[in-house]
Amino acid sequence: MTAKLETAMEQIEIATGVLVVGGGMTGVATALEVARQGYPVTLIEAGEKVGPAAESRPRTGLPDARRLQDMAARLAQTDGIEVLTATRLDAAAGVAGDFKVWLSTAEDVLERRVGAIVVATEFDTAPLYDGYGLTPGGAVIGQSELEQRLAGDPGSFSGKTVAFVAGFAQSGNPMVMQRIFHCVKALQDAGAAGVYVYVGDLKVADDGLEREYRTGRDRGAIYFKLKEAPAIAASGAQVVIGFHDPVVRQQIEVTADCLVVEESLGVGAQCADLAAILRIDIGPRGFLQSDNIYRFPVATNREGIFVAGASREVRSLPWALADARNAALQVAEVLGDGTRLVPRDKAVVDIGKCTFCLTCYRCCPHGAIYWLSENKPVISPVACQACGICASECPMDAIQIGGFTDDLIRGQIAAKLAQVNGDPAIVAFCCQNSALPAGEMAATFRMSVPAGLRTIQVPCAGKIDLQYILDAFVSGADGVLVMACHPGNCKSERGNTYASWRVEDAQRLIAGAGLEPERLRFATLAANMGTDFKAIVVDMDQKIRELGKSRLH
Amino acid sequence: MNSQTKKVMVIGGGIAGMTAAWELARAGVEVALVEKAAFLGGYSIQYACKATDQCQQCGACGVEKMLANVIGEPRIRVYLAAEAAAVAGDGPFTVTLRASGNQPEAIDAACGKGYEKDPAACAAARGYSIHNAVFYKADGGFDPRRVAAPESVEVDAVVVATGFVPFNPDEKPTYRYRQVANVVTGLDLERAKRVYGDVRRPSDGALPKKMAFIQCVGSRDERLGHLWCSQACCPYALRSALATRFKHPELDITVFYMDIQNTTNSFDTFYEQCRQSMRFVRTIPVDMYETEDGGVRTRFMAEEDGLPVEEIFDLVVLSVGIMPGNDNPALAEMLGIGLGAEGFFARPDLLNTSATVRNGLFVAGTAGGPMTISGSMASAGQSAAAVLQYLGRA
Ligand SMILES: Cc1cc2nc3c(=O)[nH]c(=O)nc-3n(C[C@H](O)[C@H](O)[C@H](O)COP(=O)(O)OP(=O)(O)OC[C@H]3O[C@@H](n4cnc5c(N)ncnc54)[C@H](O)[C@@H]3O)c2cc1C
Ligand code: SF4
Ligand code: SF4
Ligand code: SF4
Ligand code: SF4
Repeated sequence: MTAKLETAMEQIEIATGVLVVGGGMTGVATALEVARQGYPVTLIEAGEKVGPAAESRPRTGLPDARRLQDMAARLAQTDGIEVLTATRLDAAAGVAGDFKVWLSTAEDVLERRVGAIVVATEFDTAPLYDGYGLTPGGAVIGQSELEQRLAGDPGSFSGKTVAFVAGFAQSGNPMVMQRIFHCVKALQDAGAAGVYVYVGDLKVADDGLEREYRTGRDRGAIYFKLKEAPAIAASGAQVVIGFHDPVVRQQIEVTADCLVVEESLGVGAQCADLAAILRIDIGPRGFLQSDNIYRFPVATNREGIFVAGASREVRSLPWALADARNAALQVAEVLGDGTRLVPRDKAVVDIGKCTFCLTCYRCCPHGAIYWLSENKPVISPVACQACGICASECPMDAIQIGGFTDDLIRGQIAAKLAQVNGDPAIVAFCCQNSALPAGEMAATFRMSVPAGLRTIQVPCAGKIDLQYILDAFVSGADGVLVMACHPGNCKSERGNTYASWRVEDAQRLIAGAGLEPERLRFATLAANMGTDFKAIVVDMDQKIRELGKSRLH
Repeated sequence: MNSQTKKVMVIGGGIAGMTAAWELARAGVEVALVEKAAFLGGYSIQYACKATDQCQQCGACGVEKMLANVIGEPRIRVYLAAEAAAVAGDGPFTVTLRASGNQPEAIDAACGKGYEKDPAACAAARGYSIHNAVFYKADGGFDPRRVAAPESVEVDAVVVATGFVPFNPDEKPTYRYRQVANVVTGLDLERAKRVYGDVRRPSDGALPKKMAFIQCVGSRDERLGHLWCSQACCPYALRSALATRFKHPELDITVFYMDIQNTTNSFDTFYEQCRQSMRFVRTIPVDMYETEDGGVRTRFMAEEDGLPVEEIFDLVVLSVGIMPGNDNPALAEMLGIGLGAEGFFARPDLLNTSATVRNGLFVAGTAGGPMTISGSMASAGQSAAAVLQYLGRA
């Protein structure tokens, strides 16, 4: 077995340094975790300070802020951690195991070689005065200011009426609610006369929040859930809040001494630049992770680049610290002991055929292809996910994927169609991440699938060449199915999209050859849905029976 | 330190336990994965895909993938139908396992006449997933090459990933679950969609025309003393409703709710899509009765004027929440790790929520509190990292 491995595998040297971008608590925790595993870390922070000072999350109510400071202080005491403040990532090149990064400090541009990168930036946060048509000052203050005042002189709220408004200028979220609940408690402890909270939905989907909400309410805080923001007007040193109460169904006015405006929790300003520099996909609302279950919890589309905490989602500090540990775990997985065994033939470019058109470099969803100075595309066996998208897109057919070479797949098509029976011959190209397991499930569970079905495994639907589809029809298929993951569920992000385009192209071609385009169909399904697999193939079988045998035979 | 000698037990083989086991095994640790049921995957291996023309990121198919990882990982020794009976020592720990009494059904008995004759039985007999099929012999017993028999195991650390139980609606008798055929739980709906491939009314197998989802069933309920949001039921109910509506555009769907919780970063667009295709009523229905033709007469307070109204739905789905596991008190006692106020395992350290009150014992997933599949995976990764730190090897 080892002998065989030696011929197919090659050992790659991996740079074991790690770059952590962001010096809030997520970044600090990631750096400590990574360093504990023995990898040298460079932590960069755009601001002047790291630790709680760079943290954008609300810290009210956390067990003790001292522990966060202690954690940050451990950075300096830990061997192998280099902390650079007032430093930004300027540029990056290379692939997992071998990145080169350029860091601009106040004086200098530094260069480092690292094997992995973790982005752990913080939120951008600011009071949403504009969103509520308010100007700060007088009775109108932001959430942070309230927290500072409560920490400094809680007694000043004794006998006062305080109102909060949240969830209208931005959609609600549990972190904003948690901050409000903590302040409600502090105000009640300080002897406030009244506490009112105006929200859209009560977002309580995080640990302990429902209980905190109920406790505050039981102590007299009044919550109004409204469909739109209340009308707020200054009146001397106070504010008057007018709204329609949906419970008593009446217009109501409340006068408060203090109106507290929620703060935004937006993606960090540097994130767009970081995404461009690191060539990672941006997800909804600008966060650095696409909505894709393959990225759970901290992965990006690129091997060796991870995202933790506020760079990827709006969640509380305990979850961000969980991310830090996950990121460190995944970093260790990539870096190992500084060497890695990889298959030699994962994806191989035949330089003799290559015309240096850059197509593969552009279409690789995992950023696994780089360009050498001698004008030559190189595929990193560490970063490559062997999806085969580049192989199918290359205009020169210059790329082959190990285990899924054109010869192997085309040979399989011919062999499977050589066995003829009376049933309509249907070739189903099945993505191994979705349709293949779903099809195996249908078989194992003894669902009745058509007897003429022949499945061909592909690493990703993006590997399905136009030529394979035509081959299948020429070799005797009466129908061809291309089965991929649902849009948004492709491990390689766009493999299913490429496949659907190729099916459209092929439909035009077969129509030109006089075949009914319905003989070729594109379908999407999930790995856990054997019943969907069955429904698709049965439907296809019926369609082909209606159409009869292919006129190519 | 010699990593080969380190061994960890993971109790519970749901998505959290499988993720923890896999991450530990990848890091070189030997893992004993102990599951009480006759299959791996817990509840989430039984859920249906909720894609419309787009994947809705429910995470269900990711559980299949994790199960595939686990069965392909030689460092994980799988014990099925087993549970911990006693724990001795203070790290290392000696854990004595015993049979839980669950056994797989013989495939021929359950499924001899083909899947279509009895889909639910066929799916259950194979543990809901092709990947579980490797554990069984054709005659229904466990394959001894893949499933270890209960024994006494010495381990350096233990991860508790025993999960949750869905709320039992019998505790809310006015919903008449089990008495009215077409009142089902979210779990019933998920299972049915998974094994039949579509929504159907239990009474007659027909496609419903008018459906209702009732949120917060068993959660956020002062009377029951359940002062927590289950976090997963807004996401699962809305995704399931949207997917069903996508498949059957003529279907009329009402969602009764208190507050809608977020899904992912794309929540705003997702929720807007939901609002355009279904009706949202901010009230929780009071009670239900069966009509002669199997309809569910549902009484609630109208949002506009607060007056009671009745409406008949032909399928009502109770969005049951995440409750602490039945074994929690006994396990907490046996393992010497406390329970928190809500009955989940206590996680005393906010800065490391995988730690329990005892060294060497860790918690992962919904055993520690309500969370989604993605949350459970993050929690399990955190636990695996904490275990590695504890083992002093990392
Ligand atoms: C109806 C419903 C639908 C849902 N849909 C979604 C969804 O679409 N997306 C999503 O993200 N989340 C969803 N959730 C939440 C999801 O189910 C949980 O997040 C997830 O299952 C938690 O995984 P777990 O491993 O912690 O627990 P479990 O799935 O409960 O797994 C725990 C495992 O431990 C075993 N076990 C228990 N006690 C013992 C013991 N003493 N010894 C040994 N083994 C033991 C159990 O048999 C079980 O296999 C849904 C929840 C419900 C109720
Ligand atoms: S797509 Fe093909 S021809 Fe173009 S650069 Fe890549 S390997 Fe060369
Ligand atoms: S096979 Fe896929 S991941 Fe690998 S280089 Fe080609 S496109 Fe990139
Ligand atoms: S909706 Fe859920 S099961 Fe379906 S593809 Fe998306 S994540 Fe997978
Ligand atoms: S997630 Fe939604 S349905 Fe579930 S308890 Fe929370 S608010 Fe209620």
